[in-house]
Amino acid sequence: MAIDPITLEVLTQALISTVREMRATVCRTASSVAIYDAKDFSCGLFAPDSQVVAQSEDIGSHVVPLPWSVRTAMEKLGATLQPGDVILANDPYTGGTHLNDVTVIYPVFQGDKLIFFPAVRAHWADVGGMVPGSMSGKATEIYQEGIRIPPIKIIEGGRVNEAAQELLLANMRVPEERLGDLNASFAACRVAEKRIHEICARYGIDQLLEAVRLDLDRAEARMRACISALPDGTFFYEDYLETFMGGKFEPLLMQLALTIDGDRMIADFTGTAPQVPFPVNSTASVSAASVFITVKSVFDPQAPLNQGSFRPIEVIAPPGTIVNVQRPAPAGSHGEIRKRVIATMVGALSQVVPDRVAGDTCRTSFHNLLGGLDTRTGREWVHYEWSAGGNGGFAENDGPSAMAPIDWGDLVTVQSSEVLELRMPLLVETSRLATDSGGAGRNRGGLSMQRTLRVLAPDTRYSLLSDGAIVPAFGVLGGLAGFPVGSWIDREGEVENFDTPGKVAGHPVELGAAVVIRSAGGGGYGDPTERDPARVAEDVREGYVSNAAAHQLYGVVLDKAGEPDAEATAALRKRLKESRFKLVAVDDASSFEAGSVSRRRIARINPADAIEARLNEDDVIEMDARKAAPLRAWLRIDPKVVRGTLPIDAHGLIILKSRLGDELELRAVLTSVHPRAVLATAAE
Amino acid sequence: MAWLGVDVGGTFTDLVLFDQEAGRLEVIKTPSTPKNQADGILTGIGKLGIAASSLQRFAHGTTVATNTALERNGSKMVVLVTRGHKDVLVVGRGNRMAMYNIKAPPLQPLIPRSRCIEIDERLRVDGSVLRPLDEAQVEAVAEQLANDGVEAVAICFLHAYANRDHERRCAEIISRRLPQSTVTYSAEVLPEYREYERFSTTALNAYVAPRMRSYLGTLRGRLSEAGMTSSLAIMTSNGGSLPATRVEELPVLSMLSGPAAGVIAASHIGRAAGFPSLITCDMGGTSSDVCLLRDGDYGMTTEGRVGAFPVKIRQIDIHSIATAGGSIASLGTGGFLSVGPRSAGSFPGPACYGRGGTEATVTDANVVLGRLGIERPLGGQIVLDRAASLAVVTRLGEQLNLSPQAMAEGILRIATVSLAGAIKEISVMRGIDPRDFALLPFGGGGALHAADVADELGMKTILVPPFPGNFSALGLLIADFRRDLVRTRVSTTSTTTISDVRDALQALLQDADVELSNAGYGPDRRRSAASLDMRYAGQSFELSVAIVLDTAEMRSIEEAFEKVYTARYGGTMQAEIEIVSYRIAAWGLSEKPTLPSIDDEGRSREAAAVRVSPIVFGGDTHDTPIFNRDLLPLGDPISGPAVIEEAGSSTIVPPDWNVSLDSTGCLIMRRN
Repeated sequence: MAIDPITLEVLTQALISTVREMRATVCRTASSVAIYDAKDFSCGLFAPDSQVVAQSEDIGSHVVPLPWSVRTAMEKLGATLQPGDVILANDPYTGGTHLNDVTVIYPVFQGDKLIFFPAVRAHWADVGGMVPGSMSGKATEIYQEGIRIPPIKIIEGGRVNEAAQELLLANMRVPEERLGDLNASFAACRVAEKRIHEICARYGIDQLLEAVRLDLDRAEARMRACISALPDGTFFYEDYLETFMGGKFEPLLMQLALTIDGDRMIADFTGTAPQVPFPVNSTASVSAASVFITVKSVFDPQAPLNQGSFRPIEVIAPPGTIVNVQRPAPAGSHGEIRKRVIATMVGALSQVVPDRVAGDTCRTSFHNLLGGLDTRTGREWVHYEWSAGGNGGFAENDGPSAMAPIDWGDLVTVQSSEVLELRMPLLVETSRLATDSGGAGRNRGGLSMQRTLRVLAPDTRYSLLSDGAIVPAFGVLGGLAGFPVGSWIDREGEVENFDTPGKVAGHPVELGAAVVIRSAGGGGYGDPTERDPARVAEDVREGYVSNAAAHQLYGVVLDKAGEPDAEATAALRKRLKESRFKLVAVDDASSFEAGSVSRRRIARINPADAIEARLNEDDVIEMDARKAAPLRAWLRIDPKVVRGTLPIDAHGLIILKSRLGDELELRAVLTSVHPRAVLATAAE
Repeated sequence: MAWLGVDVGGTFTDLVLFDQEAGRLEVIKTPSTPKNQADGILTGIGKLGIAASSLQRFAHGTTVATNTALERNGSKMVVLVTRGHKDVLVVGRGNRMAMYNIKAPPLQPLIPRSRCIEIDERLRVDGSVLRPLDEAQVEAVAEQLANDGVEAVAICFLHAYANRDHERRCAEIISRRLPQSTVTYSAEVLPEYREYERFSTTALNAYVAPRMRSYLGTLRGRLSEAGMTSSLAIMTSNGGSLPATRVEELPVLSMLSGPAAGVIAASHIGRAAGFPSLITCDMGGTSSDVCLLRDGDYGMTTEGRVGAFPVKIRQIDIHSIATAGGSIASLGTGGFLSVGPRSAGSFPGPACYGRGGTEATVTDANVVLGRLGIERPLGGQIVLDRAASLAVVTRLGEQLNLSPQAMAEGILRIATVSLAGAIKEISVMRGIDPRDFALLPFGGGGALHAADVADELGMKTILVPPFPGNFSALGLLIADFRRDLVRTRVSTTSTTTISDVRDALQALLQDADVELSNAGYGPDRRRSAASLDMRYAGQSFELSVAIVLDTAEMRSIEEAFEKVYTARYGGTMQAEIEIVSYRIAAWGLSEKPTLPSIDDEGRSREAAAVRVSPIVFGGDTHDTPIFNRDLLPLGDPISGPAVIEEAGSSTIVPPDWNVSLDSTGCLIMRRN
C-alpha cells in the first residue's frame, strides 16, 4: 500500500516515542539501582521476524544483540504464542549477552495477528551464582555465574506461571527486588502495547506496518549504498585478549577476515582462539552486535537505529571459540570481546576507508574493585570504578580523552570524588589526565584518566578485571599506540607493580597506601611528525603532551617561550623520519606460533637487526607501512633470518597494504610505562 | 506611576507597561539590538511615550548571560582548584554525547586546561582540614594573574560545601590583589556536593559576570540619565526576581530568565481564568519551551544545562526543544524529512522575512497555507513576503513529489509531532496524562499551532492568554523577589536529630532574610518554604521533599520522604534514609498588576470581523473569517474555522474547534 512521506515520518516518530515511554516506565518502576539510576537497561520494538524496528538512547551493547534473543524465542515458542503470553529469557547460549541481562519479550496482537514485540533487557543486580552480583572473575563454568533461563512463557494466557517465577526468584539474592525489576519490564511492555493499539486505531494496521517496512528498507538502502561505494575485496585484521595461564602470559588471538562484495559485507572470525575456562568468552550475538555497532558508528551515525542497517552484513563466529561460547564455558565478561571485535573491525576498515575510522579506543571495560571489611566501623565496603580511557584520533580531530567508548552510550565514567569520599574509606588524591597517554599522531589519541586512591581503612583488597594492559590501543595511518592500562600500589613514592598486569585478584593494600589506576589511552591518527607544530606547542602548554614527547615523537623543538622553532623542528623531523628502522618484507609461510591454547603472530629478525633496532626477544612490536592500522607481533631473534629482512605471511602483507620487497617499519610498542616516570610528569 | 516589564529576545524586545492609576496594560514590540540590548530597550520606552522618571518598578528579562556562555565570548578567566584535581572541568563526567559515532568530537571545556590552576589545600569530607591553604602560593598566583590581566577568577575547592574557609580566604587574597576582577567561589554560588556540577556552575558564573556587569551597568546608567529613580530588577531562572546589583554578582541565576517569566504569567492567568492546571507552550523563533503546572504550581529542577555545561542552581522545570518558527525543513540522505533542529534563527530568519532566507521553515509553511496573515507586519515591523515562502516550500515539495500545499501541511504536521513530543516528555513520560490539563500557548507562534498540538495529544481545552506575544514581559511584572539557598550536609535520618534539621534550615533562612531586607522587603512581605533532598542510603540521586520548617519529629520527615518516593517509584525500600541537602526558598512578595476586566461595550462579532481569507485545513481550502481579538464579544462562541488576530500573535481555530472570549480576557478554545 502507498503511504505519503509525511505520515511515514509521523509514524516513525510515534514508534520511537513509544520506546522512549517504555524507558521512562522502567526508570519509574524498577527496583534495582543499576536499572533506574545507572540506566543499565534497554528497550526496543521488534517486528515478528525479530528485526529491531525502533529504539531510543539505549546502550548499544544491550539493544543491538536483542534480536538474537527474540529470534531464538520465536523459534522455540513462536508457533504456540497467543495473546496474553509473555516470554522471559537470559540464556547467553541462545541469543543472550550475560546472565545478568534478563529479557522480557512481549507479543502484541492485533486481533489474532502478531504484529510487534516490545522487549526490555535489564541488568538485574543479582541472578544467583557464586558471588553476590553474579559476575566473578574466577568462574570456570557458567553455572557459577547464576541461573540460566532459556526462553520460557513466564505469563501464559494472561496468567503468571507462578511455579517458574518462584523457582527463579528462589535462586537469586534479594528476590523481592528482582520481582520489582520483572514487574517494571512488564509495565513498560504494557505501555507499548497500549500505544501500538492507539497508533493502529488512528492510522490503521496496514499503514503502520508499511511504515515499518519502509523504515527498515530505507535504512538498508542507505547501508547498501555505503558498502557499494567501497572497493570489493577481503581484508584482514587480528588482535588479542590477554590471559595468564598458570601465571604465564598467553594472548588469545582474535582473527577477522572482512569481505566486501558489492553491497554486502561478511565478517568472518574463523581462526579465533578456542573458548577458555575463564570469563573472557562471549556469545555470537554479542560478537555480531559489536560488528554492527562498528559499522553503524563508522558509516551511518545520523539515522535512527533499526535492523535494516544490518541486513547487508553477515557475521561468522565459529562455535566453541571466544567469540561464540558454548556450554559450559562462562560468558560473564562480554565487554572485552565487544571492544576487541570493534578493534578488529576498525583495523580491517582502516585498510578500506582510512578517512572514516579512528584510532583504536580504550581497549577494556576496566573493572577496578577496592574494598574490605572496615574493622573499625564493622562495615563492609566495595568501591567499583570503571574510568573510561582515551578514544582514537580521526581525520578531523583529536580523540576525546576519558570518554565512554561507542559501545557504552551515555554511561557516566568519572565518579565524583566528593561522593566517593563520603561513602568509602578512600581519599582521591589525584584525578588527572595522564600526560602523553594519548597515542601520538597528526591527530592525537585521547588521554587516559589516572587516579590515586589512598586507602583509609585497614585490610583492604584490590581486584582488577581488565584487558589492554600489555597490548595497547593501535593508531591508524602511522599514528602511534596509546598507553596501556596501568595499575600499581604507591607507598610514599615506592611503587609495587603486579605480576599479572590487568588481572589482579584480592591483592592486599594496607592502610595509608595508595592504589593508582590508569585507564588506556586512545590510538593516534596519522604521522605525528606531520602534526602542526603550533598544535604540539599548544598540547605542551596545556599539559597533554610533555616536552620530551614533543621532541621525540612529534619532532617539535620549542623555544624558551614555548613556541615552535620552525627551522630546528624541520631539521629534527627530517632526522626522525630518516632514523625509522625498516626491514624488507620477504615471504613466510606462516608467521604464527602456537601457545598452550591460542596462536600469536611473531616477527623473526636477525640478531644484528635487533641490536640496531634496540629490540629484545618477546617485545611486543608493530610492523607498519603507515597506510592503515599497524600489525602487532611478538619479537623472535633468529640468526637464520637474513639481515635486513622481515619474513611475513600473505595476510600480514594485506593488512599492511604492502608487497614482498617493500620496506616495513618496525617499532616497539610501550607495553608498560614506568609508573614513577608518569607520576613525575603528572606532578610537575 | 507605572511599572514596566521588558523581555529581550533574539528578534524582538517585548515591553509591557502597567499604568497603576488607570489600571491599564499596554504592550509593544520593538526590534532587538543584539550588540547592546540597552539600545532596543530605550527605543521601546520612547515608543511607549512615558517618562522614565514615572517608572516605579522596572523588571527585566535578559539573555545576556546565556548568550555569553553559548557564544563562548565570556571573560578571560582562571579557575583555582584543589591540588590533584585540575581536570574536573576538562573531562566532566566522562559520558558520551554522540551515540554510535566513532568521530565524536572531544569536549570543549569552557576554559583551556592551562587556566585551571592547582592550589595546595585539601579538606576532608566532613570539612576538616587535611592540608592547610598555602597562602604564599595564592599570593604568588594572584601576582601572576594581575600581570596577565585576568578579568574573573573562580575558586573551586573540594568539599567547600562543608567548610568555606579555604575558598573565602583564597578569594580575599585574590580580590585584594585584583580589585577590578570578578572573584567568585563555589561555596557562595552553590554549597552543594558533587564537584563537577558545582565547579561548572561556579565557573560559568565567573565566565559571564564581567559582561553581565558591564551590560547592566550601562543599562542602569542610561535609565538613570533618562530620569529613572527606581531600582532595576532582573528575572531569575527560579521564577523570581532579584535586584540587578545582586545578579551582577550571581549572573548564573539569570540563565533561564525569559522562559521562567512566561511560566509565572501562566500560573497567574491560569488561576484567574479558572484553569490552574496547565501545560504551557511558548513557541518562538529559534526554540520552544514547555512547562507543566498543576494547580498553579510549577516543578523545580536542578538538572539544568547551558550548552554542554551543567548549571545546578534551582530553576523552573522547563523543557526546551529546537522546533520553532525558524526551524528549517530539509531532506537528509536516504530521504528522511526533518524539521529542525537547524534553524534560520532571527537572521536571516524564514524566507518570508525577505532577509535572505533560502530554506523552507515552519513560519513559511504557515504563510503558504494562509494561517499567518501577511496583511499585518510581524510584530509591527517585518513585512511578510508570501511569494518567497511559496518558492522555498514548492522547491522542497518537488523533491518529495508533493504539492506546495501538501508540503506546507506536512511541515506543520511534523512540527506538531515534535511539539507534542516535548509535552509528552514532561507529562506522559512522568506518568501524567496531559488530557487532564488545559494547553496555554504563547510566544509569537504558540497560538498558531496550539489546536494541532492539542489534537495530537487529545487535549480538549486551550487557553490563549491576553498579550500572548508579550507574555513573558507580563510575567516580569507578576514575579516576586525569590532566592533559593542550599547547603549539603549528608547524614542518615537515624543519626540526625530534629534540632539538627531545624538549625540547618534556620541558618539558611537567616541568610535569606539578610537578602530580603537588603532588597527592602519587611517581615510582613516575606514567605519561605523548606525542603530536603533525600534518598535511600546507597542511591546516587535525591528526591526533593517539602517539609514544614517547625516539623516536630524525624519520623514525619521520613514519612514525607516515603510518600514522595512511593509516588515516583511505586513503593518504598527497606534501607536507611539519608538527608543530603537542605533548601530554603524565600520570597519577597510584590504587588501584582490587576488585569483589566473586559466589558462588552463596543464589542460584537460584526465589529470584530476583519475579512475572509482562504486558509487550508486538512487538505481543503476554507473561506475563513478573520476576527480582531480586541473587538470580540464576550462569551459568544465562534465555531471554526476562524482566525483571531492581534498584535504579536494569531490564533488558529480549526473547523472542529470553537472559541470564545471570557471576562479575564482569555480566549477559551474547546474541541466540539
